[in-house]
Amino acid sequence: MTSLQSQTPKLRNSRRYLLNRLLLNQRFALGLLIVLLFVGFGIATPAFFNGEFVVFPLLRDTATFTVVGLAQLCALSIGHMNLAVGRMAAVSAMTAGFTYEKFHFGLIPGVIVGLATGAAVGAFAGWLIVKSRVNSFVVTLSLDFALLGLVTLVYISFTDAAAFTTKPAGMDTIRNGSLGDYCIGNLCGPSLIPLLAIPSVVALVIVWWIFSKTKLGRELLATGANLRAAQLSGVPTERRIVTAHMMSGLLAGLGGLMLAMTSGSFSAAVGSEFMLPSFLGPILGGTILAGGSVAVFGTMLGTMLTLLIRQGLSVRGIGLETLNIALGSVLLLALSTERLRTFIAVHRKKGVE
Amino acid sequence: MMRDLIPGRFAFGKTNLTLPTILIIGYVILAADSGGTLLSKQALRGILAYLAVPIIIGLAQMVVLAIGQMNLAIGAMGGATCALMATLMADHQIPVALALIIGLTFATLLGVINGILVVITQLNGFIITLGTMTILLGVQYRLVRSFTVDKYSSALQEFGQQNIAGVPYLFIIAIAVAAVLSLYFAKTASGRNLLATGGNAVAARLSGISNVRSIIKAHLISGILVGVASGLSIASLSGINRSIGGDWLLPSFAAPIIGGVLLSGGTVAIFGTVMAAGVVRLVDVARAQYSLDPSWVNFVLGIIVLSTVALSEWRKRRAEENRITVRA
Repeated sequence: MTSLQSQTPKLRNSRRYLLNRLLLNQRFALGLLIVLLFVGFGIATPAFFNGEFVVFPLLRDTATFTVVGLAQLCALSIGHMNLAVGRMAAVSAMTAGFTYEKFHFGLIPGVIVGLATGAAVGAFAGWLIVKSRVNSFVVTLSLDFALLGLVTLVYISFTDAAAFTTKPAGMDTIRNGSLGDYCIGNLCGPSLIPLLAIPSVVALVIVWWIFSKTKLGRELLATGANLRAAQLSGVPTERRIVTAHMMSGLLAGLGGLMLAMTSGSFSAAVGSEFMLPSFLGPILGGTILAGGSVAVFGTMLGTMLTLLIRQGLSVRGIGLETLNIALGSVLLLALSTERLRTFIAVHRKKGVE
Repeated sequence: MMRDLIPGRFAFGKTNLTLPTILIIGYVILAADSGGTLLSKQALRGILAYLAVPIIIGLAQMVVLAIGQMNLAIGAMGGATCALMATLMADHQIPVALALIIGLTFATLLGVINGILVVITQLNGFIITLGTMTILLGVQYRLVRSFTVDKYSSALQEFGQQNIAGVPYLFIIAIAVAAVLSLYFAKTASGRNLLATGGNAVAARLSGISNVRSIIKAHLISGILVGVASGLSIASLSGINRSIGGDWLLPSFAAPIIGGVLLSGGTVAIFGTVMAAGVVRLVDVARAQYSLDPSWVNFVLGIIVLSTVALSEWRKRRAEENRITVRA
């Protein structure tokens, strides 16, 4: 220990040490990669710098999928997984759409009903995991199957077109609105930032606050890091498992509502593409699958990187098949680096001892 | 002796009669309600021929569940393998037998890759196969694009139609594969080692079993079975497009879970999986008979699987009690 302490100031002053620290910092590396890729795609295809058709949708999708990533992050924080993330989103969108179509609810009351449903389904998943003591991924996968059937059945029995198409007042504003529409005097917000970024940033800050500042967050992480130790330290682990899945369901619901509002219709297809991105965001961001550690802002960067690759490739006219191959490879690569990171972390710790 | 130490049902001897009973009663009710059309040779042949693939993909999932993991890529592996075999036969005039061998090797290789990735990253197969699934979907789309490949040898399709005394060849192949797998788990040291890893990895390692080998083996066998399922689907279908394999995931989990495989690993239930695949097929037959929307199948199966999972703790306790009584 002492030898390390005497060495540290000298090391810290050296420029190479700083550079190494920065490159090892996941968030900095991700940010750098995002900027490089963005510039690279832009140089290769100048159309990529188009604000209205490329950057704005990219940021809007980033807003939605960041929330979806956070939904998965909540489950990952306790070492669980939520494979029903897409279907929980679908259920939320369905109930919100139902209230708009059948009861002519306003925008906000419908959103509240949708979010409450998402949270309830999430809590049910958590309760089932606690009671059955089965792996979270088996429970959520079978829940996913059941919900898939249920959601499709509701749509086909209540509508002709298998979608709720009633749009409450204000939905178009949410879809196309940007901060540029809001001015204080002559000072307007940047028109490239979509309005949907607001719920996303709010969710991001709240999740960050919960995990870094509150007792609840510490208890969740303790549950994920070591269930038995958490139990012995008086953490109500069973209740925390339900809480984590409830948060996951709530955020998945929010993601589903955001997607439904972007696409303009409430159908069973909402959320069907959520599973892979929901893992890519947090894992690229630095969240460890084993639980006990989360990277909230990293999730946003990871999501942005994923969508940037997707958007960049599709602007270049590369089809769905190559896109799938690329994203799958990114996931496998990210998983391998997770292993590498754990390996380095363990090695370093040994070095200190 | 080993049989008593490892919970689970290997052979056809010690099995639960619930599923066969449900299967028979369900079939009788459906047949009576259809006014006897379901009893015709034609109808029965159809039911059995389309039962072959669900049985094999259920077993492919079961082998991975036996080591406490999951294979999400089953559908994508099957889809990519079918697409590969179909394009080889249709566009490159490769003979049927060779194409089948290439397909089987390809699927096996995919399984091995899954296994190796799981071992290297030390993560659950679920997340690894989510990655390989996405890649393979891309491969499948790239191979068949938006077309339906159907210009391959009609000999294979004719084979798919043939039967002995009303029992389709395809179904016989599926049952034979199940029997071989049953022997593998019941009689070979390799099969038992695999179950030991699934039951308790630490104990297995301490007894000198290589968990790495067990994990790769489980994914390899899963790959072989997916290869067989792909061959059977090509023989039973009139063309291959990008949607093949897309609906394999739910049945692949439903069969072993309903069949009584413990999700924590360490057990296999081959007879149960085969029977449960039959029940799943029956739900589909019922849907067709009453011309309901296909999403009813998802809904009903989802509820059945979810309730089975919810009851699994109780089932596990019962299995443990059984083990204790057997030992005493």
